[in-house]
Amino acid sequence: MSRRARPGETIIQGFLLFCGAVSILTTLGIVLVLVQQSTLFFGSGELDLGEFFSGTEWQPAIGKFGIWPLFMATLVTSFVGMLVALPLGLCVAIYLSEYASPRARGILKPVLEVLAGIPTVVYGYFALLFITPLLRSVFGANIVQIYNMASAGIAIGILIIPLIASMSEDALSAVPRSLREGAYGLGATKLEVAVRVVVPAALSGIAAAVIVATSRAVGETMVVAIAAGAGPNLTLNPFEAAETITGHIVRISGGDLSYDSIDYNSIFALALFLFVITFVLNIISRAVVRRFREVYE
Amino acid sequence: MNAACAPPSGVDYRVKLGEEFEQNLSSRNRSASIWQLIFLAATIVCVVALLTLLIKIVNDAFGTVAYQNEIDPETLLRSVGASADTTLADLPKEALAEIFQANVSAGLFRRYNTEKPFEERTQEEVLALVNERVVQPKIVKTWGLFESLLNRGAIEAQTAAIPNATLEFRSWVSAEFLANPQSPEPETAGARTAIRGSLLAILVTFLVSFPIGVGAAIYLEEYAADNRLNRLIQANVNNLAGVPSIIYGMLGLAIFVRLLEPVTSGVAFGAVGGGETSQNGRTILSAALTLSLLVLPLIIINAQEAIRAVPRSLRQASFGLGATRWQTVWNHVLPYAIPGILTGTILAISRAVGETAPLIVIGASTFITVDPSGPFSKFTTLPIQIYQWTSRPQDEFRNLAAAAILVLLVLLLTLNAAAIIMRNRFSQRRVS
Amino acid sequence: MRRTYALFALVMTLSLIISACGPTPTQAPAAQPTQPPAQATQPPASEATQPPPTEEPAMTVEFVGGMPPVDPLAVSGDIVTAGSSTVFPLTEALAARFQDEGYAGNITIDSVGTGAGFERFCVAGETDISNASRPIRSSEVESCQAIGREPVEFRVGTDALAVVVNPANEFLAEGVTLEELAKIFSNEAANWSDVNPAWPAEPILRFSPGTDSGTFDYFVEAVMTPAYGDAGEETILSAANLQLSEDDNVLVQGVEGDQNAIGYFGYAYFNENKDRLTALKINGVEPSTASVDAGTYPLARPLFIYSDASIMAEKPQVADFINFYLTYVNDEIADVGYFPASQSALNGAKAALLEALSNAGSE
Repeated sequence: MSRRARPGETIIQGFLLFCGAVSILTTLGIVLVLVQQSTLFFGSGELDLGEFFSGTEWQPAIGKFGIWPLFMATLVTSFVGMLVALPLGLCVAIYLSEYASPRARGILKPVLEVLAGIPTVVYGYFALLFITPLLRSVFGANIVQIYNMASAGIAIGILIIPLIASMSEDALSAVPRSLREGAYGLGATKLEVAVRVVVPAALSGIAAAVIVATSRAVGETMVVAIAAGAGPNLTLNPFEAAETITGHIVRISGGDLSYDSIDYNSIFALALFLFVITFVLNIISRAVVRRFREVYE
Repeated sequence: MNAACAPPSGVDYRVKLGEEFEQNLSSRNRSASIWQLIFLAATIVCVVALLTLLIKIVNDAFGTVAYQNEIDPETLLRSVGASADTTLADLPKEALAEIFQANVSAGLFRRYNTEKPFEERTQEEVLALVNERVVQPKIVKTWGLFESLLNRGAIEAQTAAIPNATLEFRSWVSAEFLANPQSPEPETAGARTAIRGSLLAILVTFLVSFPIGVGAAIYLEEYAADNRLNRLIQANVNNLAGVPSIIYGMLGLAIFVRLLEPVTSGVAFGAVGGGETSQNGRTILSAALTLSLLVLPLIIINAQEAIRAVPRSLRQASFGLGATRWQTVWNHVLPYAIPGILTGTILAISRAVGETAPLIVIGASTFITVDPSGPFSKFTTLPIQIYQWTSRPQDEFRNLAAAAILVLLVLLLTLNAAAIIMRNRFSQRRVS
Repeated sequence: MRRTYALFALVMTLSLIISACGPTPTQAPAAQPTQPPAQATQPPASEATQPPPTEEPAMTVEFVGGMPPVDPLAVSGDIVTAGSSTVFPLTEALAARFQDEGYAGNITIDSVGTGAGFERFCVAGETDISNASRPIRSSEVESCQAIGREPVEFRVGTDALAVVVNPANEFLAEGVTLEELAKIFSNEAANWSDVNPAWPAEPILRFSPGTDSGTFDYFVEAVMTPAYGDAGEETILSAANLQLSEDDNVLVQGVEGDQNAIGYFGYAYFNENKDRLTALKINGVEPSTASVDAGTYPLARPLFIYSDASIMAEKPQVADFINFYLTYVNDEIADVGYFPASQSALNGAKAALLEALSNAGSE
């Protein structure tokens, strides 16, 4: 019997290949659009690359295009978020994988899934209407402004706890029982097994989780748009209002711009900057996993 | 011991015997219990954070409100000569219609009369109209649920200080809330336009992203040889899953709203009349296409895992019987993997339901009065409505935002529950 | 089992479709009246015929009688508007009334700022009506003409720009002068005491509409430029602690939340939040109907909507809506929180509408 090529098969295979290629088209699209508009921006003659990366004022209306106020606000909110999420997420992960009884796990895992599934606009609402008044009553209303980076940062932290917890827990669970049992056999306590044996073994996975969570915090938009503030402000004080890169993009594009103005192109430059950062972070996390993962078999 | 086995200097690995050992052991056990408590505390903090969030929303979505009437019912009663002991509900229909006509604009009366002549309306209907349009209760102050339950006395005292105010318990989530369109008045504002917008956008998103996502997953798992192109596609999908959603919004703005405007505005399909300004690219179709790109990586990854879980023996048996690759996939692999695929898709879709930033960039409308009727309509969605209401400083809009959040959470819960039920039912089936 | 999935999927899809495309509750009238009711209405025909003018509108702005009345029940088609966040509540109120009285089409109003509104109107050609809290600029008129539009201005009201502070602020009980206001919003002063040594040595927290906003443009023109000349815009934008937002609600919350805050926006937003904010006297004059009418409040400014005769010809519902707007704006404007334009200004707007309609009709 000869193998007759069925035309239907080829067509279907072609369609499936197209589906697979859509993702490449998406990435190409993102890069093309961002780069093209950004070149319009950088090439417009109103600014130079040096000012973009070193300037400390961002006011497009008067020709100031320094990215540092926006970038600093992004860093501060992400830092506060990681400060909240890293210890809590790791502890939850350790608890889940080493200590929790099946009943506790049955409660905790759904709780984490619910926390992960709540839309970010709800976290923004929570930050503005609960965390900010709380901070103001603890620290005083004249120290904590009504829009501030700290409450946005805390809300972002709560938002990414499930991400760190679930990825770390996966990494911890992947460590084979034999390592644990060996340690128990040597007389170690549960804490020592968890902290001195399992965690170091799973370190690559945990590091990857942290990096992915940072990338998520950097890209977070709605929480900062609602609660962090609405004007670029170069400051390290988390209790002041400041606008992050994502918040600025949303505020400006919510107002819709004239389609070929420098303002419009500037948000694409900001988006390109953001894309590069998150892309690099994601690549690093995957590289970390690949290079440092312990192979046990 | 020879030198090679000697431990590094400075560290003594010999077992500590006797009393030292006992002390050491108890301190180790103590720190172990302390840390166990710390780990437990961390998890409790997470649970508490979630509960606080939910309680805060419930607190804002129900409570007592103090109303003030725009026009006092007593004035109205006097205008038709009724005594002050009666209430509006006691008046006959004709008197109510008279009150209505005398107190609203000619155009409004004409509109209601054209809709359904007053002679044909029942007394209850006219009474409702009079209450809504003439008496016009306006909310003056609101209190949250817990304050209403626990601090009733203080609330009543505050209400007494406001002239002509009445107190009433109000659930901001109500049938009216779900059925009313957007309005600048918090008393009558509802989320209907936003809900319809969300549902329509999600439907179109599903229709677009499901075939493409599953197709890509099938390609990557079943057809792709291990060459550079396919490894690139795989790595690409993984990377795209980590891109912030606002970037997808900007992609959508540049491509779907601007570049493909004839397609997304419906002009290319002749779907619109009404002049060039009525239609632009800020339509449900643009939003759905953008959301599809956003959820595509998630669907692909989940579908890949589901397809990977199909045992090889199934495929090999099918090949052994002479089936082609596509026949194997369609008749054996897919049916086995569909539950997992659907579960993953539903979870991805529920992520799209909550997305706000990309849609703001695309240009969801600030004020829109008519429900979206098709993929070429302008729209607003539930998360965007929540965002707008949260931005308003008046307390009543906070309550409305909380009510809308509850609706959104219920919608998400339904979607996730459907996914979980499906997952459980079919894992059971798999076992049997 | 396969059948149950198919059924489940079918049910879910159906319920989504039904809820998305289901009938709307009685918001729209059941049927268009085929016979126009007793009053004369605008003919809803596709070509704009001449509405029967009750009187030939002279070039002066006095005319009696007025516009042919509009029956919203007879109007169909969509209207797209965008622009000033200051004018937004006013247009929103009139759009809501238009729909209340029976209009069944779709009105979208986007609050994006006067500048962005003109971009949509004059460059992208996306909107039918542009809301503006400042007059159109000549560069914007040129852009309009480049796409074949000739903007027609309609004055609809007056705003008294409210400069607000937190109610706990006592040192500004007597208000400020325009010069002090300029200094407060400039980069020359970091603390309140830098402007006036009698005031506290606390940092000034500034809240301002964004650069797309007509309110911002007006403030620069009326307050900053007299004090700093051409550098006025730069002076305010390089001030410290400046929060910019096109969303006036964000500004309200900001000022409300901090004792040392100061902000400015349209009077309607102050009116809605009277219990949380204090409006300052400017040069000793408080914003009120009396001071706006008398012209003594220094920061009173006109509010406009703009459209174009060819749009009104192509989409008669736009002309009907503007007609309705001008007829009933004075009923609604006090509720919204602004001040009526003078009668002659409104008459001028009505005359402009009639002229635009007759011009369009004669083409």
